[in-house]
Amino acid sequence: MGLLCSRHQHSNKADSENIQAAEIERRIERETIAEKHIQKLLLLEKIQFCSNVLNVLESLESQQFLSRQIKLLFQMGFDEAELKSYAPVIHANVYQTIKLLIDGSKELAQNEADSSKYGLSDDNKSFSDLPSRGNEIGDKLSEIGGRLDYPRLTKELSEDIEKLWKDPAIQVLVAFGSVDDGGSSRTFFETYARSSELQLPDCASYFMEHLKRLSDVTYVPTKEDVLFARVRTTGVVEIQFSPVGENKKSGEVYRLFDVGGQRNERRKWIHLFEGVTAVIFCAAISDYDQMLYEDESKNRMMETRELFEWVLKQRCFEKTSIMLFLNKFDIFEKKVQKVPLSSCEWFKDYQPVTSGKQEIEHAYEFVKKKFEELYYQCTAPDRVDRVFKIYRTTALDQKLVKKTFKLLDETLRRRNLSEAGLL
Amino acid sequence: MTRCAITGGCPSDYVAVSISALCVFLLLARSAIPFLYYKLSIPKGSAFWVPAIQILASLDLMVAIVMSVNLIKIEKRHWWWNSCYIWAVWLEGPFGFGLLLSCRIVQVFHLYFIFVKKHLPPLRSHIFLLLVLLPWVAAAAFIQLKKPLNHRCQMSAQWVAPLMVLHSIYVVIFVGLTRSIQHVNFRFDELTDLWRGVLVSTLSVVLWVVAYILNEIHDDVDWLRIASRFLLALMTSVFILAFFSYSSSQPLLSQVSLSKRECPAYESMSQALGIPNNGIQPQRRQSMAVDCNEPLDKLLLDRRFRRSFMAFADSCLAGESVHFYEEVLELGELPADDSVSRIYMARHIIQKYIVSGAPMEVNISHRTRQQILNSVDLGHPDLFKTALIELLQLMKTNLARDYWSSVYYMKFKEADAKMSAHELEMVTNWNITPRLSCVHAPDDPFHQENLFKSSDVMPSQ
Repeated sequence: MGLLCSRHQHSNKADSENIQAAEIERRIERETIAEKHIQKLLLLEKIQFCSNVLNVLESLESQQFLSRQIKLLFQMGFDEAELKSYAPVIHANVYQTIKLLIDGSKELAQNEADSSKYGLSDDNKSFSDLPSRGNEIGDKLSEIGGRLDYPRLTKELSEDIEKLWKDPAIQVLVAFGSVDDGGSSRTFFETYARSSELQLPDCASYFMEHLKRLSDVTYVPTKEDVLFARVRTTGVVEIQFSPVGENKKSGEVYRLFDVGGQRNERRKWIHLFEGVTAVIFCAAISDYDQMLYEDESKNRMMETRELFEWVLKQRCFEKTSIMLFLNKFDIFEKKVQKVPLSSCEWFKDYQPVTSGKQEIEHAYEFVKKKFEELYYQCTAPDRVDRVFKIYRTTALDQKLVKKTFKLLDETLRRRNLSEAGLL
Repeated sequence: MTRCAITGGCPSDYVAVSISALCVFLLLARSAIPFLYYKLSIPKGSAFWVPAIQILASLDLMVAIVMSVNLIKIEKRHWWWNSCYIWAVWLEGPFGFGLLLSCRIVQVFHLYFIFVKKHLPPLRSHIFLLLVLLPWVAAAAFIQLKKPLNHRCQMSAQWVAPLMVLHSIYVVIFVGLTRSIQHVNFRFDELTDLWRGVLVSTLSVVLWVVAYILNEIHDDVDWLRIASRFLLALMTSVFILAFFSYSSSQPLLSQVSLSKRECPAYESMSQALGIPNNGIQPQRRQSMAVDCNEPLDKLLLDRRFRRSFMAFADSCLAGESVHFYEEVLELGELPADDSVSRIYMARHIIQKYIVSGAPMEVNISHRTRQQILNSVDLGHPDLFKTALIELLQLMKTNLARDYWSSVYYMKFKEADAKMSAHELEMVTNWNITPRLSCVHAPDDPFHQENLFKSSDVMPSQ
C-alpha cells in the first residue's frame, strides 16, 4: 500500500498527501483484509495519486503544440491578454516566411542558369522574372524579415506581402512544401526537391491566407491562430494539468515537460529523465521529405528514427511507458499523394497499391508498422512488458488531442494499478 | 672495455639510459600537471590529441635511440629485439622524429590560417598530419624493402645522406612556416614556443650529423663510440623535453598562469584578453524602474539585468543563448584594430557555442552556422550578427514573458530598490509561475564541464 505513494515522490503537494496517505494506510490496516474489492475502491477514491510526470520529447521541430493544446483543453485556456501577446509572434512568423520565400526564389534563380527548367507552362514565367518585377518590394520585405524588431503589420505591408505570395514563382516554391498547394496542380518534379529544402513552417499558407485579418489594427489572435503559431522551444517549459478537468478533485495531476527538439537542446533532456512515468514522443510523419533546421544535410525522418532508437535504449526508461504520437497527420494526408513515401530512405520499400483515401490509410499503416518494428528491435526481451502505444494526432484538432489524452490517461492509470498489484 | 663498446652495457651507457628515463618522466609529469594539479578539464578535439601524439612520438624516439645504438646489453631472444628496422627505421622516423615535427608543422599551419588568412583551416588536423607524415612512411617502407642496414644498425653513407636531408628538410619547412607568422602579435606564448622548437630541432640535427660522422670515421676507436652514443642519448632526451609544447593552436589558459607567476589564473577568455568586466554600460540609468516595455536587447545591455536574466535562463536550461550574447558583447568591446585579440575571442566563441557538439551549443539554423564556420574573416565585427538576431528572437518568444513573473525578476527589483534606496512599491499579486519547478540535476549544468559521458551523447553528434 505504501507502494503507491512511495514510488512517485515528485509532487509539490507531497507533504499533505503523504500524511493523508499514511493515515488511510493505518485505517485500512486496522480493517479486515477480506473485503479487498472495497478496499481497492477506497484506495482509488481517497488517495490522490501523486503527480505523474510526463516527459514530452517533441522530435525535431518543437512547436509547443502539446503545451498549447493542453492549456486550451485542460487548463483555463488563453485569456485575452495572452492571446494578444501572441500577435507579435504571429506577425514574426509572417515576416520570416515571406523572407524565406523571397531569398529562396532568388537563390534558385541564381543557381539555375537554365531557368526554363523551372518555367511554368501555364503563364510562361520563370524564377528569374521575380527579381525584376517585384524587386523593390522583395528586397524591402527581405530586409525587414532579417531584423531583430519587426514593424507592426500595417495594411500596406500586408498588401505587399500578399502580392508577392500570390506570385506564381513563389507559389511553385510553396506548392509541395506545405499544406495548401493553391489548387492548381503543377507537375515539375524538380520543384519537389527544392521546396522541401526551404525550412518553410507549416503555418505558412494559413497565415498568408488570413493576412487581411492579421493586419487589422484591432487584431486579437484567435485560438486557432495561436495553435498555428510557430515557436521554437529552447530550454524546458513545465505545465501542470489534470486530464479530468480542474473541477474534479480526484484524478491525477500530470506534470508535462515540453522540451526543444533541435540537436543542441537534446543534451538538456538528460536532466529530466529520472522518475518519469511516461514519455510522449511526437514524431511528425509529414516530415519525411524535409531536412533538419539545424543541419540541412540530414533528413528529418531519419533523424527521428535515430532519436527514437536512442530514447528506447535509455536505461532509465526500462519501465517507462512510451507513447508515440504520429503527429501532423493532416499534412501527411495531403503530401503522401504528391510526394512518394519511398523518397525517404527508411520507407524505401514502400509500394503504393491504390490511390485516394485508401492509399492514405495504407501509407499511414506502413509508417506505423515501421515504428512498431523499430520499437521491438530496440526493446530487450526483459523490457517487453513496458507499455507502448501509438496514437495518431493532428496538432490542431482539439477533439482528437482531447480523446488521445483521455486514452493516455486511462493507460497510465491502468499501469499504475497493475504495478501496485491491484489489477 | 672493448666488449661493452660493441655490445653495449658500459657504465656511461647506463648513465645515459637513466638520464633518458628521467627526461621521459619529466615530460609526462609536465604534460599531466595542469590537469591533475590545477584540475583542468581535458580539452576536446585537436587541442588534446596533438599534444598527446607529441608525447607518444617523443617516447618512441627515445626508445628508438636507446635500442638502436645498443646502449643496453640485453639478451636478445626474440627476433624483434634484434630487428634494426623496427627500432632504427620505423620507430625513429615516421613514429618518432617525423611525427614530432609533423605535429609542430600542423600547429603552425593552424596558426597561419587563423591569424594570417583569418579563417578556419580548410583541412582537418588529422588529415593534414597524415599528409605531412607520408614522405616519412614512404622512406621507411623503401628502406625496409632495400634492407641496407648491417648488423650493427648502420648504413652506408649513400643511404644516410638522403635520410639526413629528409630530416633537415622538415626542419627547414618548420622554420619557414614559423617565419611566415612571426609578424603576428600573439597574446599567448605560441610564437616563443615555436622558435624554441625550431632552435632545439636545428641543434639536434646538427649534433646528430656530427655524432654520426665521428662514429663513422673513427669506427675502431672505442671511447669515441661510447662517447658518441652517450651524446646521442643525452641530446635526444634534452630534445624531447625542450621540444614539447601544449598549445597546438589553442592557448591553454593554465599555461599562462603557470609561466607568469604574478598573473592570477584566468577564468574566462575575456579576462585573459583583458576585456574590462564592467566596460559594458557600467552605470545604470538613474531612473530605477526597468521598463518591461523596452525591447529585450536594450535591457540586456545592462549588466545587472543581464546577470539576473541569465540566472533565470540557466534555471530553465536555456542559458546558453544569454551566455553567448554576453560573450559576443565582450567581443564587441575589443578595439577594431586589435584583430589578433578579436580572432582569439571569435575562435573561443565558435569552439564554445557554434560548433556541432559544443559544450554550450546554441540553437541556430544550419545556414547561420555554416556562414560563421566558413567565414573568410574571423575578425569581422558582424561575424555573429545573424546568430545573435536569431537567438534574441528565441529569447523574446520563449523566456521574456516568463521572466517578468519569475523569482529572479523579483530579486532583481529588490536589489534595485536597495541600491537606489527608494521604497519599492510591492506589487502584491505576483503570479509566481516558475517555468521549471524542479530539475533533477545535482548541479547547474552550465557550470559543470564534464557532465556528459560519451554514452549519453546523441548519436547524431
